[in-house]
Amino acid sequence: MKRIFFLALLLFTFVGINLHAQGSEVTGTVTSADDGSALPGVSVVVPGTTIGAVTDFNGQYTIVVPGSSTALMYSFVGMVTQELSIDGRSIIDVVLESSTTELDEVVVTALGIKREKREVTYVTQKVAGDELTVVAPTRAAAALAGKVAGLQINIQDNGVNPSTQILLRGLRSVSGNNSALIVIDGSISSSCAFDDLNPNDIANISVLKGATAAAMYGSKAGNGALIVTTKTGESGQKLIVGITSSYTAEKVAYMPKFQTKFGTGWEGAYDAVENTNWGPRFDGTMRQIGPTFPDDSPMTTQMVAYSPVKDNLLDFYETGDTWSNTVYMSGSKDNSKFYASFGDQRADGIVPQDQYKRNSVRVNASKKIGKVELSVNTSFFQDNTDVVGGTIGDQDRTLYWFVLNTSANIPLSSYSDWSNPLSYGYGDNYYNAYYQNPYWGVGTNRNLDETNRFTGNFNLSWDIMEWLNFTTRVGTNSNWGSGKNWRARQTYDASLQPAHSTVNSFVEDTEFQSTDYTGDALLSGDFEVNDDITVKAVLGANVNTFDYSYLRIRANNLSIPGFYDVSNGTGSPEVARDESVKRDFGFFGDVTVGYKNWIFLNMSGRNDWTSTLAPGNNSYFYPSVGLSFVFTDAIAALNDNDILTFGKLTMSNSTVYNDLGAYRINEIYSQSAGFPYGAVNGFVLSNTAVDANINKEKINTNELGLNLGFLNGRVWFDGAYFMTATTDLITSTTPSVSSGSTVFLTNIGKLSGSGVELSLGGSVLKMNDFQWDVNVNYTKFETTVDEIYEGLDEIALATSGQYGIYAVVGEAFPQMKANVYQEDPDGRIIVDPVSGHPLVETELANMGKTTPDYILGVNSVVRYKGFSVTATLDYRTGHVYYEQGSSAMEFTGRSIASVSANRQDFVIPNSVIETSEGVFVENTNIQVSGGRHSYWSDKYNDVKSNYVKDASAVKLREFSVNYTLPAKMLAKAPVSKVSIGFIARNPFTWLPEENRFSDPEFNNSNSNVIGIGGYYQSPPTKSYGFTVNIEF
Amino acid sequence: MKRILKYISILAVILLLNTSCEEFLDVNTDPNNPTSVTPDLVLPSAQKYTASIIQKDRRISHFGNMMMQNWSQSDGFSWYTDEFKYNVTSSFYQRVFNYSYTNSLKQYQILDMLEDTRYDYYRAIGKIMKAYHFQLLVDIYGDIPYFEALLRKDNATPVYDDAATIYAALITELDAAIVLIDEAVAPDVPDIDDAMFGGDMDKWIQFANTVKLRILVRESDVRDVTSDLAAIATQGSGFITSDVLVNPGYLIEKDKQNPIWGDLGWDEGGTQTLSSKATCATQFILDYLTGLADPRIDYIYEEPATGHLGVVQGLLDYDTPVLDAFVPELVSNIGDGILKSGTMGANIFSMAEVYFLLAEAAEKGLITDDPKAHFEAGIQASFDYLGAGSAAGYYSSAIPLADWNSSTGDELEAIITQKWIAMNGITAEQSWFDYNRTGFPSGLPVSLQATTPDRPVRLFYPAGELSANGDNVPAQPDAFTAKIFWAE
Repeated sequence: MKRIFFLALLLFTFVGINLHAQGSEVTGTVTSADDGSALPGVSVVVPGTTIGAVTDFNGQYTIVVPGSSTALMYSFVGMVTQELSIDGRSIIDVVLESSTTELDEVVVTALGIKREKREVTYVTQKVAGDELTVVAPTRAAAALAGKVAGLQINIQDNGVNPSTQILLRGLRSVSGNNSALIVIDGSISSSCAFDDLNPNDIANISVLKGATAAAMYGSKAGNGALIVTTKTGESGQKLIVGITSSYTAEKVAYMPKFQTKFGTGWEGAYDAVENTNWGPRFDGTMRQIGPTFPDDSPMTTQMVAYSPVKDNLLDFYETGDTWSNTVYMSGSKDNSKFYASFGDQRADGIVPQDQYKRNSVRVNASKKIGKVELSVNTSFFQDNTDVVGGTIGDQDRTLYWFVLNTSANIPLSSYSDWSNPLSYGYGDNYYNAYYQNPYWGVGTNRNLDETNRFTGNFNLSWDIMEWLNFTTRVGTNSNWGSGKNWRARQTYDASLQPAHSTVNSFVEDTEFQSTDYTGDALLSGDFEVNDDITVKAVLGANVNTFDYSYLRIRANNLSIPGFYDVSNGTGSPEVARDESVKRDFGFFGDVTVGYKNWIFLNMSGRNDWTSTLAPGNNSYFYPSVGLSFVFTDAIAALNDNDILTFGKLTMSNSTVYNDLGAYRINEIYSQSAGFPYGAVNGFVLSNTAVDANINKEKINTNELGLNLGFLNGRVWFDGAYFMTATTDLITSTTPSVSSGSTVFLTNIGKLSGSGVELSLGGSVLKMNDFQWDVNVNYTKFETTVDEIYEGLDEIALATSGQYGIYAVVGEAFPQMKANVYQEDPDGRIIVDPVSGHPLVETELANMGKTTPDYILGVNSVVRYKGFSVTATLDYRTGHVYYEQGSSAMEFTGRSIASVSANRQDFVIPNSVIETSEGVFVENTNIQVSGGRHSYWSDKYNDVKSNYVKDASAVKLREFSVNYTLPAKMLAKAPVSKVSIGFIARNPFTWLPEENRFSDPEFNNSNSNVIGIGGYYQSPPTKSYGFTVNIEF
Repeated sequence: MKRILKYISILAVILLLNTSCEEFLDVNTDPNNPTSVTPDLVLPSAQKYTASIIQKDRRISHFGNMMMQNWSQSDGFSWYTDEFKYNVTSSFYQRVFNYSYTNSLKQYQILDMLEDTRYDYYRAIGKIMKAYHFQLLVDIYGDIPYFEALLRKDNATPVYDDAATIYAALITELDAAIVLIDEAVAPDVPDIDDAMFGGDMDKWIQFANTVKLRILVRESDVRDVTSDLAAIATQGSGFITSDVLVNPGYLIEKDKQNPIWGDLGWDEGGTQTLSSKATCATQFILDYLTGLADPRIDYIYEEPATGHLGVVQGLLDYDTPVLDAFVPELVSNIGDGILKSGTMGANIFSMAEVYFLLAEAAEKGLITDDPKAHFEAGIQASFDYLGAGSAAGYYSSAIPLADWNSSTGDELEAIITQKWIAMNGITAEQSWFDYNRTGFPSGLPVSLQATTPDRPVRLFYPAGELSANGDNVPAQPDAFTAKIFWAE
């Protein structure tokens, strides 16, 4: 039996080496050449070792230099690194010049390994923490939108606790995960954990875009990685205590654009209790709405003017409030540093009674003991969500549905007193016979959740030799919580509400727990072979375990009203349980060979073993190779060029494999719905058939990168071109249902993707106290399905039969398909010669892809003295989405389209009749029937391509005006920093004329089924507020 | 420091060495789902699926009820828009095709594929029930995947087989099932896990014969089935002797109720479902039953206090001339002869149908029985199922089509018409097949919203087949003219 012995080897080899070093002490002060001010935070290291110190608040440092060392290196972001020989001195003062090249910047790469940018053979982009928090976002991911080329952030909905989808360079897998890997403080994490992170705690995020960048993380990083580093104190920094507070008000940005000409009714006739809008034209007369109350009722029949009420749906929504406060402390002493924070956020949503609160605590600390640095990053997070339930009424609908099913002539906000039997908002009295009062929905359906997360990373870094470091890291990310979802029973008086059925009550309790454990060990060495050749090598091992469990108990038809405990249910409670474990481990090596500091060759390899594939088939090796060429240093003619200050070209190729989820290699049985019946139990075979030889999928990426710096770094340009090819895709194909399965999980086909990322940034204007920096990111990518398998040219990811998201051979992925009108060769709609109704193709047509052709992000920062004005805008275009909501509202007659012919029968414009095969004659006189109602609700609504809309959007995602008080004003005050700001999130959105329903970014699921949304979410919102930061 | 490091490393090594690589990775056994189960756990869920595909909301019988003017829609609902338009598309009733294969047939296939001979009874049941379902699919769709179907990962794109060829194969399979039962050696005998016959294998043989009878009578106009019918007689076990009900032990609990009760009656909380309120009699059927003085009208339909009231199929304007004339309280919803209770068995083959099949065979001279006796026994079986008491007065009422003797010259019409009434609300798809085959009952109107002179004769292949099995699925036949082979 093969035993794990690698760690033993690594550890035993180095344990016992003398940790004590002989050396002399050097002290000094580092100042800036620009203004002579002291520079805190400058890194002072002994070259070729990791022995180092950092200057304190006064620019002073002290370092113990080994006897064998002859030089010290001083580096600071934005400054030229200097290397000075010691020459026996004990005091060395240094003046640093402003950097002319960003190539000296340090990049945090995979596994926390730091490399100079010039050495990195693939494309990365860094976002500083303060760029993320400028508009006080509640989720860090939201603040990344528009700031990084290649990154697409989808905010799945509004609401008090939104979720986000993070995609890098589009999609590479049809059925597999396409989201970027999140690594927090060196440990593999999750996008949920990223959402749970207090954005104020983030020091920076390094975005490793291609699979190349992340080959060392194994399968999980096949979609690129976001390396998130949380704050630690700076060495030499004095104690800082600060508070960041913000308040934002959230409002509905826009409601769907509806017709306001026709009101409540059916087939052209007024109907006082309809949710539909097929009534007569608004005329302003007083009309009955709601049930007719009998004479002995305390209620009188409600009368309202038959005319549209302005913003009647909008008025249902409230202004949401979000307060957030973070108190933080950081500092250092001797060889210790720490950062601690406490965050508190409280939010009231736009939906009445929606509430959310979260608290987070973080303590990061490190201590250096001789050659060993120990560091610990821990965080605890807890949130409580109290929102309206998602299965309201006798049709189990979402709240927005009830709002949307309210006619234009209904004064919706007057129905808020839903629990009062003498109010028109009360169940029996409400006007709408089919969809209940949304206020009632809010009061009788609640979904409560509490989740907790603990993350802990323990890190040990040991400088065994000047050139050799051993680092080991143990991390845990534990997430647990519980939820309660309940619905109250509602009965109806059949004489007032004949169409409603009793709404049954239920209570559902859920509990979940998931824990990731990760362990890494790496040995890294830096060698100088001679003056020209350097070698940096890393050997390592990594092990991961993921445990998950979930329990749900639901009890129906509760006996005691208002008592929401499962013991209160009648009949058998429903119980569901899910547990899973996934494990893997891997060994890897990475070596970078540099020549004259202007060309670097990187090679890495990793071998993984996973628990989720069959033994014997569960090991896979993946290599990567890359080259970085700093041509401005290499080519003499380009040296010291004032225009082109630096230039770097990179090329890389990497291969990554994706494995399966736990337990997916076997076909399974599960208990059949409703069973057991007493002693009779029943199981069903899963509808997922699994290929007996199911295997990993392979992603190969080629990438070409170019970094240019102009005018001493004032303007810079980053470009990348990449190509990915995914083969042996693990795909949930759609077999014929007659095979006895609805999904066939197999390795098939090929996807290829390519794209371009361009970033151009720099200072547009720079004079005295004024500076205007602009950064433009352009991302274009497309993924195409090259092949599936013989006889199958498409796979449905999700389909209604009339529209859906597909993978179609030869087309961009993901592809929207929908049924379309039959058209003649000139593109005119063919109508039935008898009915005048359009003919519909029986097969669905390709409507376009649902990820953008390109994304353009623009960031602007204008600074003048203490003022700064920032703006982030992004534009996405070239894609479509399906407006589920507007399709649903077509049925109710609220769509703009439904009044386009004035509710009359009409001749479809530009239509033809096929008089004999292939002969088309213009239709001038055959009208559709049912123009007052059924044409729209049935015929038009049946052609789902009518609801496939241009998903283009321009969003001003962030805007802020900040003012920081000048330091001299605060010289005598007890505070050291005060800044205040006005902030706005998503203040403006521009959408194409044809799309006026919802935010095309909203999506029903977090999966690859991108492009279907509309009414499961709340309407889109915008937020305004202010933020204050004070440091003591 | 040195010592601490040493301990940490020793500890780490011990922890890692303790488990071998294989053991460390050997965690891929699903703790929540088995990968194999015994047939006694497969059969009851299969049978529950059978009940569901026949009886649930918008499944097979429901479709028959819509096509055969049994059911209409009350005011306040837009439940049956596509049905009233005869809007046969690739999504219309696609779940009939989809669920037949992926629910019931998938489960019966597991039984049919059992290799251990101790499970021969289960295999036989699998074969009989597959034949039952495949016949329904042929009758609704014509050519369908059969010989290559249900092989799951071994064939994701089965070819479509000729409908008549499938019919012949079903007879062979039913014969094989009877042989399996007859010749089984020390078999495991199903018990309470058999939700149809409780493991009574004689009844299974009778049911096999009954399914054969349905097949043979259906194709009797296009093929001489005399010898096949004679073979059933020779076999000697006869036909079922009571309604075939699936009842795994239905309870008034969520997901556990009788399927038609739960969908078109009352939910587990005792609330009348919206589908139940939405569904009511057509005025045509009420008039028809009244015309025959048929007492079953009060069992098939609920009688409101204001008297029976139906809605013309496809009515658009419910409020003219009288506002709210057709709200659920005022119309005749489904009656308590159909919706007896939430725990009743689900009828998948009624005794009345057996008699009417025999009556038709006898009337056509395919068997030598007396058609009149079967005709009257069929009516009585229908009365019995509905709880309507004795039918003697009815079938001797001298009313044509109710009384055999008064239907001289129209015997087949009488049989099919009475079968239509008997199948109402139970297995109404059978009447739709009969109508397409015989044109009876005569005078059946179309929906007001129909744009064709008559109702469809078949359904379209579902959209999923067009995309997932595009190379094999035939072009969609004309849903209104391309009759199934037995009606050509």
